[in-house]
Amino acid sequence: MTQPERNQAQGDQPPPRQQLLQQVHPTPREDAATALPVDSQPVDTPLASTTSQEEVLHFSAQERDFWEGRYRLSDGTTVPFQARRIGQQVHLWIGGESFVFSPVISASRRRGGQQSSTDEILCSVPGVVIAVHVSEGDTVEAGQDLLVIESMKTEQVVKSPRGGTVQRVPVQPGDRVDRGMRLVMLVPLEGD
Amino acid sequence: MFSKVLVANRGEIAVRVQQTLQAMGITTVAVYSDPDAQAPHVTMADQAYPLNGVSAEETYLDRRKLISLAKEAKAEAIHPGYGFLSEDPSFCAACAEAGLVFIGPSADTISLLGDKIRSKDTAIQAGVPVVPSSPLWEPGETHHESFLSQWGFPVLVKAAAGGGGRGMRLVEREEDLQPALESASREAAASFGEGRVFLERFFPAARHVEFQVLADASGNTIHLMDRECSVQRRYQKVIEETPSPALDQKLRDSMGESAVALAKSAGYSNAGTVEFLVDARTGQYYFLEMNARIQVEHPITEETLRLDMVEWQIRIAAGENLTLSQDDVRPSGHALECRIYAEDSYNNFAPSIGTLLSWQPPHGMGIRLDSGVAQGQEVTPYYDSMLAKLVSWGPYRQACIGRMSKALDAFPVIGVTTNIPFLRRAILHPAFASGNYDTRFVAMYGELTTPAEASPVADAAAALAEQFWQASVPKRIGNQPNIHQNIQGRPSGPWHSIRRASFP
Repeated sequence: MTQPERNQAQGDQPPPRQQLLQQVHPTPREDAATALPVDSQPVDTPLASTTSQEEVLHFSAQERDFWEGRYRLSDGTTVPFQARRIGQQVHLWIGGESFVFSPVISASRRRGGQQSSTDEILCSVPGVVIAVHVSEGDTVEAGQDLLVIESMKTEQVVKSPRGGTVQRVPVQPGDRVDRGMRLVMLVPLEGD
Repeated sequence: MFSKVLVANRGEIAVRVQQTLQAMGITTVAVYSDPDAQAPHVTMADQAYPLNGVSAEETYLDRRKLISLAKEAKAEAIHPGYGFLSEDPSFCAACAEAGLVFIGPSADTISLLGDKIRSKDTAIQAGVPVVPSSPLWEPGETHHESFLSQWGFPVLVKAAAGGGGRGMRLVEREEDLQPALESASREAAASFGEGRVFLERFFPAARHVEFQVLADASGNTIHLMDRECSVQRRYQKVIEETPSPALDQKLRDSMGESAVALAKSAGYSNAGTVEFLVDARTGQYYFLEMNARIQVEHPITEETLRLDMVEWQIRIAAGENLTLSQDDVRPSGHALECRIYAEDSYNNFAPSIGTLLSWQPPHGMGIRLDSGVAQGQEVTPYYDSMLAKLVSWGPYRQACIGRMSKALDAFPVIGVTTNIPFLRRAILHPAFASGNYDTRFVAMYGELTTPAEASPVADAAAALAEQFWQASVPKRIGNQPNIHQNIQGRPSGPWHSIRRASFP
């Protein structure tokens, strides 16, 4: 195994944070996540960690797609961890918490996406569409109910994140939908 | 006693019931939907039959299929578990017609208790206090003036045939009432085949405390103490404990007597649960409903009383009388249950699916796991999102919480998002630790459902993820520009062929 570069740099300066990966779960708060280009994120590592030995203490498994072992945190406590590669994501279980990381998408691409004239309202839960409350051309307000998805026997109401005009609704009642699928395309209101 | 029993359910309860059946020397028959073919409740069964289908409606809710399979397998009885057909009077009656024993109360009792209006009347007749409520609402109607003028908003919309929070809505303002009635009615119709709803007085500071009841066919009825179920999200329980920190001995005795009186008045036989709402401000209690089935949270009662509730269900259904009296019910210590849900606590508890690449339950003194899944199994969107129940017992409450906390810390799950991070925080929260919490607990403390901005663990996660990524991605693409190219040019990555992670 090749030694990771960031460990070699330790001691000289705080390690650079999240160069290759960005956290996608738990999803960072919207205000912080969208405003800040990931690669220019300020280093917020506590002072103590610059001198501590934050590192893997030992491995009980070290395969290409699976690591398991014990890790020493910056505060000196040690915790068990597991890491798995799933597709292009790194899934981590450490100190009882779960994290998912994805490769960084550059800030310019992220911002570009947000400035486009159409908003795509994406499905956040897998399930079945049971009601669609809007159709093409409808004007909707922020917070208005758009459609209802049933997932694991629970109704999830999808609300409009902002005011606008419905451009397209590519789903209809009875459709199976999965996370990330487009539910409603919205032309945001001017100045909203 | 029966020699063979079919378990008409899936998940952890189908496993739990079969554990007792097998311990009693009874042959078990499992049934399964297509996605559940490799599930633990199937692999552990002495016999298993496919239900040939995917959705609950075409599998675990198909009454005719289940009864004909029970006959084909020559089972003498059906255990319905909870959910699905457990409180369906027509299924219960159909079992009897087919000469099968339904392990639960009679069809008449289920139908009486399943109707929230009639069960309230039964409670009133038994002298048990009830929550004030409106007459039934049918789609199209708009009038509730007399109820609303007496109690005002906020108000609860409830389904007459509800349960598990389905068909229930909290309405704060008048203009939200009509949409809530319609949506609750639709959800109830989809879940229970019955869309009638009604309004109920809402108590802002309420605790949810229930009493376990056991009754035999001869009318011997006892209660098995209380369970505190106030930690809920979306009106569904997440954490339960016994004994409830909310009750003093006087209140406990009085509620226990009410529970027994109600069960007797309903002609109840087998295991059931009487749910009460306790007004945290006044200490007054009100009957909510009686669940005519084994309850999800029955293990905490089993832990403090050292008895097997499922065994009693089976013995009573087989015609045996209770050999326990109320004086024999002497609980010891404290027990806590955390429900492990496939959901994202940081995203409004949205359901989660995926493959359980890591699922390594903790062990240790006072720790019990009732689980319906195994490592490698896929979690699908078709059924309930509860994967397992982690239960801890301790000689006193603090010891019990400490054991649970350590167990949750040592429970790696990868591939499916679970509520374990929420559970860890919830049981260590000062409000939970004090025992002084009510059903607003989850909503009141946003820190339980918000990821920490920065913590040593989050820092370590970011560093470790980078380290792992660099070691796991071949060096020539292990730098940033190439990764970007790869995302755009998907699926050309060299790791495309290793989507499924290997097992240790």
